[in-house]
Amino acid sequence: MTAIAPILSPSTHPLADVVHRLEAGGSMLPDTPENLMQIIGLYKAYAVPMDFYWRDLLYIGERVFLEPLPFFKYFLPQEYLDLANHYAGDTADLRVWRGRATAHPELLAFMEKGELKTKLPKLFHHLWHDRINMEFAEECMRAMLWHRNMGGQLDPYLDSEEYRQNADRAIRAYFRGNPLLLGLYQLFPELFLEQCRQATLYSCLGLFWEVMAPVFFEMSDIYDEGGFRGVPDAMNFLVNGIFAIAGRPIYHRVYIGSECYELVPKSKGFTWLYEAAFPYVEAVFYRTAPFRGTKSYNAQAGQIPAHQEDFHYGVLYADTFPVGSAGIPPTLLSQDMLHFLPPYMLEYYRQHCRGEDDMLVQLTVSFQRSMYNVTSAVIQAGRAAFLYPLDDPNPRHRQQNRAYFEGQLRRFARTDYDIDQACRINYVQKQSYR
Amino acid sequence: MASIVDIAVSAGSFATLVTAVKAANLVDTLGTGGPFTVFAPNDAAFAKLPPGTITTLVQNIPQLTRILCYHVAAGVYRQADLQSRPRLASLEGSDLYLNFPEDLATGFEVNNATVVAADIEADNGIIHVLDTVVLPRPHWFDGIVANS
Repeated sequence: MTAIAPILSPSTHPLADVVHRLEAGGSMLPDTPENLMQIIGLYKAYAVPMDFYWRDLLYIGERVFLEPLPFFKYFLPQEYLDLANHYAGDTADLRVWRGRATAHPELLAFMEKGELKTKLPKLFHHLWHDRINMEFAEECMRAMLWHRNMGGQLDPYLDSEEYRQNADRAIRAYFRGNPLLLGLYQLFPELFLEQCRQATLYSCLGLFWEVMAPVFFEMSDIYDEGGFRGVPDAMNFLVNGIFAIAGRPIYHRVYIGSECYELVPKSKGFTWLYEAAFPYVEAVFYRTAPFRGTKSYNAQAGQIPAHQEDFHYGVLYADTFPVGSAGIPPTLLSQDMLHFLPPYMLEYYRQHCRGEDDMLVQLTVSFQRSMYNVTSAVIQAGRAAFLYPLDDPNPRHRQQNRAYFEGQLRRFARTDYDIDQACRINYVQKQSYR
Repeated sequence: MASIVDIAVSAGSFATLVTAVKAANLVDTLGTGGPFTVFAPNDAAFAKLPPGTITTLVQNIPQLTRILCYHVAAGVYRQADLQSRPRLASLEGSDLYLNFPEDLATGFEVNNATVVAADIEADNGIIHVLDTVVLPRPHWFDGIVANS
């Protein structure tokens, strides 16, 4: 990283050290080899289940759709395992990962025998939770559904007359020949419409993660080759990735019989950055379940924010110990990632805390670090897209960059609702937080 | 006088913009429609974008169109007309942010871009040349910056 000459007086922000680090092109996470190893190790461990998540999210959004009893929605058909990722493999629109476009080999191996290392009927693996836990992915999708108005044009579109008409066509087609469900639709149209919106969010998150999985696989490969010199390199790879993919379309199609119904057509011009990535970060990283954080839930004592935009229960505020109390879906995510940790991470966790006994806790702390790095990349990408280069010679421009960085970090320094105590940014500055 | 598209083609420094406008099938609109105010990023502006950004947009025409429309406003607004306006509605739907700082001897700023040549007259509107591609700011942006 080239040194950037400071031309402003030092920041007086409570997190001034982090402000200065961001201004120098760094991440919210200190640049140490241990942090780099942890974040990349976790990207790899996250990317393999994510390769299942995005495929299944699309399958549910496109095929399961309004199935009233979706018992088998996690049983991914071969067609979706073979679905070519648009950002990996020889057929990629833009090749982010040099690997294959179909499901990752480690994922397929795990799906076959699971943790039990035994080939049993799929249903047994499913009931024993010896599988990829889609519950976490669905929680993230619901987080986006619950936190409407997180920006972008998709959110208002879901309330538009055009969307209602698209949904109406798909609902009538899906329940053709089913007078009971069609009758219920007549009685409770809003209920069915809300289910369509949820299916659209399934598709939206699936398309979002379709990009992130190959990005994380490629980062892991680069790290294994010794390609990243530090945390800022890893963050900058993400920033460039965010720009490169920013214009990828976000849409929702439903396949009913031989027909394709477009609930959100590509022609609306919705993009990965504005309609998926920014709302995802706002809803999942900052505000909501599945990570509940350390907060008390005494509403009478005013400990619950009155406004949804003040919620601060995302992964950046999560108390990962004991894992179960942070919520069931994060525990399931940790379990998913545990199966795909690179060997260097397994060795690392064995050396610290309680070794294998608290590996899920250590792993989730590493995950939190890696998500601070992703959030840093989103912040830096926002700075690059909407403001000025870090080395801009104009002091006024540099001041605007600073106002942006300080404003972003203010979200962690707020004292109302004890947000400053709940957030983990001060913890991740220290290596002893495990 | 020539149209907005003719001027961009003949100037020679808008090759990427012209390619993008052709890909998005906006040649007729910008060539004969209007009047428009076009904030036209030059080739140097597009070159600042990280690799792959343009590739993805050119593969996805509705998305490319949306970004291009953020650089266009309906009506003719010369620099002098814009001085009293902090914002201008773009055809994309989001506002463009205008700034006339004292430390700029000439020109003005649109979002994070500086206008390197203003008030280029065309048959069907006016062109201001930008040194940076501008992107719509998310709704939370103002709140974040105001919070610092």
